[in-house]
Amino acid sequence: MTGGPSLFSKVAAFEFRHQTRSALFWAVTGVFFLLTFGFMASDRIHIGDTANVHKNGPFSIGQTHLIMAVFYMFAATAFVAGAVTRDDETGFGPIVRASPLAKFDYLYGRFAGAFAAVAVSFLAVTAAMTVGGDLPWLDPEQLGPFRPDAYAFAYFVLALPVLFFTSALFFAVASWAKSMAWTFVAAIAAIVVYVVAGIAFGKPDLEPLLARWDPFGLFAFDVATTYWTAADRNTLLPALHGALLFNRLFVLGLGAGFLALAYPLCRYRAAAGKASAAAPPAQVRTGPAAVLAPATPRFDGKTAIAQFIARTRFDMGQVFKSPVFWVVLGLGLANAGGALWTSTDDTPYGGALWPVTRILIAVLDGSFNIFAVVIAAYYAGELVWRDRDRRVHEMIDATPAPDWTFLVPKTAAVALVLIATLLAGIVAAVVVQAAKGYFHFEAGKYLLWYLIPRSADLIVLAALAIFLQAVSPSKFVGWGAMVLYIVALFALPGLGVEHNLLIFGGVNPVPLSDMNGQGRFWIGAWWFRLYWGAASLILLIGAHALWRRGTETRFSPRLARAPARLKGLAGVLGGAALAVLIGSGAFIYLNTNIWNPYRTQIGDDRWAADYERVLLPYESVPQPNVVAVRLIVTLEPRRPMLETSGVYVLENDTAQPLREAHVRFARDLDVRALSVQGARALKTYDRFNYRIFAFDTPMAPGECRSLAFDTLLTERGFRNSRRMTRDLTSVVDNGTFVDSFAIAPTIGMTRDLLLTDRAKRRRYGLPAELHRAPLGDRASRAHSYISHGGWTSADITVTTDADQTPIAPGYKVFDRTRGGRRTARFVTEAPILQFFSIQSARYAVRAERYKGVELVVYFDSAHGANVARMLRALEASLDYYQANFSPYQFRQARIVEFPDYAQFAQSFAGTFPWSEGLGFIADYRDPSRIDLVTYVAAHEFAHQWWAHQIVGADQQGATALSETLAQYSALRVMRRLYGPDQTRKFLKYELDGYLRNRGGDATAEQPLERVEDQGYIHYRKGSLVMYRLAEEIGDAAVNRALRSLLARYAFKGAPYPTALDLVAALRAQAGPDDQGLIGDLFEKITLYDVEATAARARRRADGRFDVALTVKAAKFYADGRGRETPAPMNERVDVGLFAARPAALRFGPRQVIAFERRPIRSGVQTLRFVTATAPRFAGVDPYDELIDRHSDDHIVPVR
Amino acid sequence: MLIIEALSHVYPGGVKALDEVTLTIPKGLYGLLGPNGAGKSTLMRIVATLQAPTSGFVRFGDIDVLKNPQALRRRLGYLPQDFGVYPRVSALEMLDHMAVLKGLADRRERRAEVEGLLHQVNLWDHRKRALAGFSGGMRQRFGIAQALIGAPALIVVDEPTAGLDPEERNRFLDLLSEIGENVVVLLSTHIVADVADLCPAMAIICDGAIVRDGAPGALMASLAGRLWMKSVNKAELAAVRAAHQVIFTRLLAGRTLVHVLADADPGDGFSPTPGGLEDVYFSTLAGLSPRTGAARAA
Repeated sequence: MTGGPSLFSKVAAFEFRHQTRSALFWAVTGVFFLLTFGFMASDRIHIGDTANVHKNGPFSIGQTHLIMAVFYMFAATAFVAGAVTRDDETGFGPIVRASPLAKFDYLYGRFAGAFAAVAVSFLAVTAAMTVGGDLPWLDPEQLGPFRPDAYAFAYFVLALPVLFFTSALFFAVASWAKSMAWTFVAAIAAIVVYVVAGIAFGKPDLEPLLARWDPFGLFAFDVATTYWTAADRNTLLPALHGALLFNRLFVLGLGAGFLALAYPLCRYRAAAGKASAAAPPAQVRTGPAAVLAPATPRFDGKTAIAQFIARTRFDMGQVFKSPVFWVVLGLGLANAGGALWTSTDDTPYGGALWPVTRILIAVLDGSFNIFAVVIAAYYAGELVWRDRDRRVHEMIDATPAPDWTFLVPKTAAVALVLIATLLAGIVAAVVVQAAKGYFHFEAGKYLLWYLIPRSADLIVLAALAIFLQAVSPSKFVGWGAMVLYIVALFALPGLGVEHNLLIFGGVNPVPLSDMNGQGRFWIGAWWFRLYWGAASLILLIGAHALWRRGTETRFSPRLARAPARLKGLAGVLGGAALAVLIGSGAFIYLNTNIWNPYRTQIGDDRWAADYERVLLPYESVPQPNVVAVRLIVTLEPRRPMLETSGVYVLENDTAQPLREAHVRFARDLDVRALSVQGARALKTYDRFNYRIFAFDTPMAPGECRSLAFDTLLTERGFRNSRRMTRDLTSVVDNGTFVDSFAIAPTIGMTRDLLLTDRAKRRRYGLPAELHRAPLGDRASRAHSYISHGGWTSADITVTTDADQTPIAPGYKVFDRTRGGRRTARFVTEAPILQFFSIQSARYAVRAERYKGVELVVYFDSAHGANVARMLRALEASLDYYQANFSPYQFRQARIVEFPDYAQFAQSFAGTFPWSEGLGFIADYRDPSRIDLVTYVAAHEFAHQWWAHQIVGADQQGATALSETLAQYSALRVMRRLYGPDQTRKFLKYELDGYLRNRGGDATAEQPLERVEDQGYIHYRKGSLVMYRLAEEIGDAAVNRALRSLLARYAFKGAPYPTALDLVAALRAQAGPDDQGLIGDLFEKITLYDVEATAARARRRADGRFDVALTVKAAKFYADGRGRETPAPMNERVDVGLFAARPAALRFGPRQVIAFERRPIRSGVQTLRFVTATAPRFAGVDPYDELIDRHSDDHIVPVR
Repeated sequence: MLIIEALSHVYPGGVKALDEVTLTIPKGLYGLLGPNGAGKSTLMRIVATLQAPTSGFVRFGDIDVLKNPQALRRRLGYLPQDFGVYPRVSALEMLDHMAVLKGLADRRERRAEVEGLLHQVNLWDHRKRALAGFSGGMRQRFGIAQALIGAPALIVVDEPTAGLDPEERNRFLDLLSEIGENVVVLLSTHIVADVADLCPAMAIICDGAIVRDGAPGALMASLAGRLWMKSVNKAELAAVRAAHQVIFTRLLAGRTLVHVLADADPGDGFSPTPGGLEDVYFSTLAGLSPRTGAARAA
């Protein structure tokens, strides 16, 4: 059957030569080289890594090869599909098939040659990484030594099997479909299916399964490198065993399977000649030619309308009838469908949100619009070139149809197709809403927030595509130009170009809120749309002028003909569009550059760097403390305008006379007046809104002076924004939310606004890391970590519109509405931090009095679903905290909703601003979900103790005193409300979050007591540490320690407490046996590796059972880079015997046969039990309370 | 009357497609005969307003075609030499669409016109089929139907019979001659028979230049008495070619039929033949006719 190896190898060699000589080969190789090189050479682009991970380290090499191999699928498809479709497309097929070449040699020879070309071409990635790892301008900190073994591993083990699999798969598809286009469609479909499946199955418990069966191996690599630290990533290669080895073999086997499948799929001889369309039988003429009543062509307005409608319908029909449209739309809907479906996941704790329109629109923007962009770019090319491609142009162009009937209907058709596409996206969103049982359909929002603005943006894009096609010598050049344009969209901000006037189609993003609608932010966006709409019209008129009517395709004759084609309406319209372009451009410039500053990311970073260089030296200048604040705040939400006139009382609480007062304002705050009693302005840094006053006579210790100021927070017109709005979102029509930094001065320099990204810091000549003062430092105990603010009283009067409720810290002592304005005065009755918020909106209010405290939720009237739950959480929190910590310092606790311009909840004095995007739209129909609303409420309420009663000194470990203790407090409340099972579920997320994030930390990981504002430590690890401690020494002991801390530091000024105080208080309450544990939890980075290796049960003579459980255990201490050293382990660990697997759905207390704490030491040991019934599972640390990277080996079945 | 004056066209790269072409084309069917690459299609495209010439003039009636192409298009029906179709569009849809483009805005009027044309070109039974599935002949008939929409005064058909089987070709030519009674029909072809049977007037174009024009009968008369034929073996052919001015050869029943041009009987077994337009055409292409210039009538 076969023609022998020689024929096979000849075919293969020929194919390889053919492929490697093709333009495609060099284009693909070049593109992948440049892409990879770009990742290496630019310090702005990272693939999934962070600053600490070497760009050419084994992990980065592996990850880059793997990701590139997946991307490479499309190139491989072109190679291998070309090998089997080429003959038919060139018409050479019958000749090849007529030769004595056997099918086997033909098919697999071609594949071998094409795949060899794929494999060689992919070396571009390896080469680019090697070269890129040696570039002189790269930061040497981001590079490691040259690792040939890592490259070999990445190429042969990671990339090549994936390349083989994709090549074989699409070779089989192409052998069957005999069409390049359909093979590409299959490739796109494969990617979408992969992504959707990844989303659908991407649950932690399915990960081992995915790691084995993922045909690209991304999950296998992920699992093989799970929880790797930076040190691991820079030195280790994933071990080729277990899931990774299985996966590699699976991928190769899958590839071989598809390759074998190609043989029967390929119709070799049968497909030799498509039966040509049989000519119909000759017809006998039926009588004479019909006598025609000659219709007379007319060329008037009616004809023009008919021509416009007919042409538009015809062109739309061409799109709608083309399978490519439905394929792309289908892919887009599949992609968006998955994202829409998961958009209601409230990560990372497995919560759920209601599918409100606002969220779904954001998802459509993120996952669907790009397909509409593809449709716009693709069909612009198709429609412009279609008559020519189909060779209909001579017939059409010779008709008396006016010139405009070529361009205008095509543009209209593309526009209508795009609108239809977006409508399909909306339908998908509505279907998802209905499927999730949400029937509050808001057509107006879909229309105004999505359909109309996105249609406008896409039509502008389509106009560009049409113009580019009209001036390009071929469709492919036109498409290439569009690709360049889209690449430029991403590249320009990196070059400091962010002005929407310069970036074609650039439009201000409009932040959406159900409270505040589009606010006033749509205005700027629509000015830009007007500007680009005019530009698009000019481009379309240009395309019209240069249209290829007839057979003349050269550019210069068309250019020469253009003026004639511009006569009449086209020219008039063009002139009008030019006038609009200039007029709107000028008005936009006035807004974005004259009335408001034009800012870029690079400019902002440079500003922050200069800010640090110039002002950070002042950090150590001793400053007076604010002890009383009096503010008169006048808010005009609709203007928007917020005027503040205030007086601070400053007190010198240091032991030395003070010579200077440093007064700092937010960057864009307009300071109308400022005076410091007994001082004159010494120096003003206008660029930084920073002023230094010199006291005429130094301020003596204990002396008080006043500071008076008037500020204006406002915005005229609109700013230029690219990704996120730069407009003022804190003062808006409905939902004003400003904090004290935004409207009032702070005293002294702090580190609040400094750059934190290591790479950026180095780029601007700053030290890579800005370390906090070390734990135990004395000088830094003079300041709290919250912007150095101390304890103050406040007296704040807020005036706002009559229909709004103003809220400020303190108890409301006055509330009057007069002349359409409402004025309320708030006075504090306990010391508060000099860090507070002011809010105003049209609120619905639900209030209750609970144990002498007024609990209130201020919310948007449409967001009442979870208000009762919030109040219950406040009650439970108040009960636990007052009983176990200390009395609550205020008579009220208020949750206050704000628009979704930020997604957080925060704790100010007695007030918890809470974003409308969080708990207000949480969906609790499924009671098994973690109650995040209660958790967040309890956490924020706990801050009234842990931040608003004691606040850490500005040094390492400060957030352990606030965030970690708030986590602990919330966990106790959760446990009390929901029992230990939900709490454990919660802790699993915390463990995963901690382990995942520590590998990606750009700075060194710190032990908990030295945490440097690292969320994964003070929140995630904090929960784990405090929960374990409470399990070990009892929550009563922990709470006693916390009470002692409060007794010593609550509402006290300097010296502020440190994490050392917390650890000392805990040590004081813990027994001698637990001192080592406290050291491990707080002072070290401790990791465990316990494993249940085997369990046996034997029936005894008395009917009971002897159970033996073999446990392997180890403990490690890690340094900040993740390097581990073994430590002897000898501590008590939970051990359990169960009737069902603890993770099982129906697992409950009745399945627990035995559960106790047993001492576990390093190494292998056997634990013995006697039980009444035979256990089916046995485990060590079954509830995952230890910080262990392999929590999947804690349970074994009992034999 | 279509008047073409001193029309020249040079393609980029220096290829001279038309060289000072001058023609006057009256009502009726006018054949433009020439081999592939002679410049026929370029000439047709220029007349059909699809291409601007390098120099020269084209006038139709009182329309200056080059200055005001739109005016000509309103009276033009054009069947390109080689045209494709849109996928997934039926004959009826496409014809209707073309009718709109040709200015038939009134739906009822348009429908009558389109249906009439479909009957006329005998495509009525296939009107709902996709054009892409049409045979070559059906496609050409569709092409002529679209060219006839709106009763054009000038019809330009470029190589309409290429690729048609004999029967379809006949039917197509019948249709053309029917139409050609009242309007100017400019027909280009490289098939002599197309012209011989139908066209009262014709021109031969070669290398971008008109080498002969006139009525086919008159042109044939110019060769009267100078045409001789003989049937020879393949082996003898070279010798015959060397000895005589061969106009063309054709295989006939396994032997080769040779036509030669000679003022007197060449002997050697040649017999006289009345000849046909083919002899005119091929002798002209071969540059054999000494009376070429004389045959060029105004």
